[in-house]
Amino acid sequence: MISCDDLAVTLPGATGPVDILRGVRLTVEKGEFVSVLGTSGSGKTTLLRVLGGLQQATGGRVSCDGADIAGPPDGVVTVFQDYAHSLLPWRTVRRNVALGIEKLDRSERDVRVDEALDMVGLRDRANEYPWRLSGGMQQRVQIARALAMRPRVLLMDEPFGALDAMTKASLQDQLQAVQELTGTTVVFVTHDVEEAVYLSDRLVVLSGSPANIGLRLDVPIARPRDQIATKERADYLELRHQVYEALGHRVGERAHG
Amino acid sequence: MGRRLNIVGAAVFVLGLGLWELVVRTGVLTFSYLPPPSDVAVGLGELFGSGELATALGHTLFAALTGWAIAAVLGVVAGSVLGLVRPVWTYAMASLEALRALPIVAFVPVAVLLYGFSVQTEIMVSCYAALWPILLNTVNGMRTEARMVESGRVLRLSPAAVLWKIRLPAATATIVVGLRLGLTTSLVLTLVAEMVGNPAGLGFLLVEKGQALQPGQMFAAVFVIGVTGIVLNGLVMGAARLAFRGQLASAGEA
Repeated sequence: MISCDDLAVTLPGATGPVDILRGVRLTVEKGEFVSVLGTSGSGKTTLLRVLGGLQQATGGRVSCDGADIAGPPDGVVTVFQDYAHSLLPWRTVRRNVALGIEKLDRSERDVRVDEALDMVGLRDRANEYPWRLSGGMQQRVQIARALAMRPRVLLMDEPFGALDAMTKASLQDQLQAVQELTGTTVVFVTHDVEEAVYLSDRLVVLSGSPANIGLRLDVPIARPRDQIATKERADYLELRHQVYEALGHRVGERAHG
Repeated sequence: MGRRLNIVGAAVFVLGLGLWELVVRTGVLTFSYLPPPSDVAVGLGELFGSGELATALGHTLFAALTGWAIAAVLGVVAGSVLGLVRPVWTYAMASLEALRALPIVAFVPVAVLLYGFSVQTEIMVSCYAALWPILLNTVNGMRTEARMVESGRVLRLSPAAVLWKIRLPAATATIVVGLRLGLTTSLVLTLVAEMVGNPAGLGFLLVEKGQALQPGQMFAAVFVIGVTGIVLNGLVMGAARLAFRGQLASAGEA
């Protein structure tokens, strides 16, 4: 379980300190898939960085399994949007995936790397350098690197934001399958409403400045979900409608901002 | 880099040599001491036969490479500290900028005064010359992509592991550039030190043959110096490719 209570974050800005988040309360249970939505600049990434121990909270309490978070906690791995800067270009795919588990002995390490590569379907590209792969494949390498750690919690910061629509759909389904298999808790930051509704058990929408959670929504759609049938269901469309409204859109009105 | 022999380029070079031979032989160019390439080849043979060449080349290589090797260790270690520890950089920056702007040649007479006409003078000068490119490239190389370091942190790497597995490999291609630049400048400055300071090595051979009015041998010494530079650079590049294949390949250098 990873959670924050009454969380406040203030960051230095060009014209003095800026309040990014205030009073945020979020609890993610074991095995849950929770999405954090918000318009750009709403503090989604900041919230994720605090949960991942990469950013100090200015106020409130952040904890993982009862222990306060100060620095990246054990068993919690963040996956970043910019895979190109997150992977080490001088290491092959296999050695990138092994980066976090090199303390283990060789046979154990090999087993885990193979397992992680299988989950993302990249076993046959293991000896390539990442920069020779497509963007979608590189992001799968980063996900495999996180999975090789056998994390309890995956924190994903717009992981599919830089990918084209078709690649995105296939990675969403792969992520669903992996989560089903491993039971990993996922906190997923995105600005894509469809993606959030499609993937999540529960989602929260950040709004306001400083931001707080404006809408909490359960997504009681049965799994496994699929790109066509799920997205045609009335309850999916109704949830999608509610989220757009929470983000400030109105029916019959064009998006702005 | 292409592995194939550049035939057109080689042909132009040979043609140039032929033209040089021609204009000197036919008297179009009438310098008293400009030898045609054939005389240079003869001079090279004489230097080689008398053993002067081997002694001089050995001396120069020893001085230049010793200085360079010391500079490589000092430069990479000091450059890493300067690049990684912000306060050290802040304190040292002004001094470094001032020293760097000082032309290295100006340092040669100083070294001669301090160390006399000795091989130490050459090593000091060679080391000082190589230190700058190696140091500054290492400092630059240590400005690792923040996200890469963060990736190490989320994978629970210790600070030592982040340095060893992420920062240093990320800096390798830049450091190798510094090592190559450093080698070139250390060879040049070693030769200068031999010309004005310690009477030994290829630099002194060059001056000596000039003063003895033996242009064939003098040009032969110039030729050997040129080839030495090319071979040394090739060796460093080859060694770096062997040792750091992945790092250089990802930087587009392999």
